[in-house]
Amino acid sequence: MSNKLTTVQDGKPSAQPIQTQGLRKQYNGFVALEGLDLQVPEGACFGFLGPNGAGKSTTIKAITNLIRPNKGKASLFGVDVQREPTLALRRVGAVIETPEFYGYLSPLETLAYAGRLRGMNRRDIEAKSEEVLRMVKLSDWANRRIEKFSKGMKQRVAIAQALLHDPALLILDEPTSGLDPRGMAEVREIITSLKHSGRTIFMSSHLLGEVQEVCDYVALLNHGRLLLQGSVRELSQQTDVSSLVVSFAGSIQENEVEWVKTVPNVEGVEKSANATLGLRVRGGVDTHAKVLEALIQHGLRVASFRPLGSSLEQLYLEHIKEAEQL
Amino acid sequence: MKTSAIVQVPIVAGYELMKYVRGRRLPGMLVLLGLIIGLILGLPPLLGIGFPSAPNEFVSSFAGFSSLLAVLCGVLFASDALASEFEKRTAYFLFPNPVRRETIVVGKLAASLAASGLVVTTYYAAATASAFAITGGVTWEIFLSYTYTLAYMVSIVGVAYFISAWMKGTVSATVLTFFLFTLVFNIVQAVLLVSDVEPWFLPSTAAGIIGNVLSPNAGPGGGFGGGPGGGGAFQTFVPEVSTSLLLFAAYFVAFSVAAIMRFKRRELVS
Repeated sequence: MSNKLTTVQDGKPSAQPIQTQGLRKQYNGFVALEGLDLQVPEGACFGFLGPNGAGKSTTIKAITNLIRPNKGKASLFGVDVQREPTLALRRVGAVIETPEFYGYLSPLETLAYAGRLRGMNRRDIEAKSEEVLRMVKLSDWANRRIEKFSKGMKQRVAIAQALLHDPALLILDEPTSGLDPRGMAEVREIITSLKHSGRTIFMSSHLLGEVQEVCDYVALLNHGRLLLQGSVRELSQQTDVSSLVVSFAGSIQENEVEWVKTVPNVEGVEKSANATLGLRVRGGVDTHAKVLEALIQHGLRVASFRPLGSSLEQLYLEHIKEAEQL
Repeated sequence: MKTSAIVQVPIVAGYELMKYVRGRRLPGMLVLLGLIIGLILGLPPLLGIGFPSAPNEFVSSFAGFSSLLAVLCGVLFASDALASEFEKRTAYFLFPNPVRRETIVVGKLAASLAASGLVVTTYYAAATASAFAITGGVTWEIFLSYTYTLAYMVSIVGVAYFISAWMKGTVSATVLTFFLFTLVFNIVQAVLLVSDVEPWFLPSTAAGIIGNVLSPNAGPGGGFGGGPGGGGAFQTFVPEVSTSLLLFAAYFVAFSVAAIMRFKRRELVS
């Protein structure tokens, strides 16, 4: 990973926004995290990936002092979260799961509560509240009580309160959860604009397309263990196998399926419908073009030919599969 | 942006008080208070019964409900204060802020004590004003009864916070607090009295000083006495005032500290 990392030396704090060392968390015999070493470089938009139950939320809870790890250490900007939670969380804005808010407060009052707890003055709170509520498109609801808000609206309030104090580090746990497609696009847009402002963003998601679109770094977690971490570009280049869906004009025969298996670089063929094949192909877009050419030259009437999922998705599936086989 | 616990405690307390007001608990409690006062003052004339002429005796009818009022305050303003953060998931908003959990508990405690204190004070203010209007006098014992009620209320709030820090649900925390003070302690007290054991360590027993101070026949505390049925059918026991006050303080301190420790270590897992 190319980085601006500084490490912990001689007990002196590092400047890394997030660092975990050997983090372990066990719930009633179930190991949710096992020896997690995570490093989030400053200014990065870091995607934290993994299937449900992988330990993403547990990690986020451990680094925001909502749970206590059984072993290991989590630091924010070099400050131990367990020992100095208030200091560690000072420069952090967080949206964890879909938080609930006090129903008797309006978004403006909720932001004022968070701002006052953080030591902001009244003028700053008013100015920033207006700005962040506009950003999450809740200005019209600023004075309504939250008790009647939908899940998506509460998620927007959550994002607004996380941004209120201009945090240097933004921790987002499934930030688009509960939002409609338009809301999801808007949140992605907000995250992208925040990324350009130089903040460090750490977001967990199981939506790979979303992470690939927004993040420059990723870490993949499964069964509480870190499978990989690095820049999206580097990792995407690592994966050499991709899935393609090929639809034909007319049904495809078994002997033709067998022939497709012999095409160079085709590693697997699966007939998913009468006129559709799923191919696993080793190689990049040049190889895809050659496979398509071979199919057409063989006389197969290809109606459509498209890659299935992003390269990150392929990488994800490969690593998760490998981990399951171990 | 720097802040400290000293600044944060009143902020937490202020928003907690806002919850009681906007959630209609405090206005509701004041309405209930109005009804109780209305019944105490309205029923005797309707039934053709005269009011006592002595201020202490007059306020005794108010003091008879003081213990229950203190319990209701603990139930309404304290028993769900901590459990609700977990059950209603508002902790996901509150905890990632740079505020210590101890600060949150202390802020909430301050709000609970303020709301409960307001109710008790209003009640005794009404009782004192009525006593002055009807009997033409006010005594020092009325003030003592008020002080003892506040002390009892404080101990209930401490215990309610402890229960709230441990319980998963707000309903169970509320029910447990209510029945602990209205039923469980009374049963234990009755059993101990039958066994000739002085239950000075039970707050509901110690709360006997609230009414005792107003009773003209009450001797010095710390003794057994025959019940209203006579013949020793019911035994009562009221500890010394100093013992009771120390007990209230001990309950409040011990249970509040235990609540803070539990709340500090409690994890947000669901």
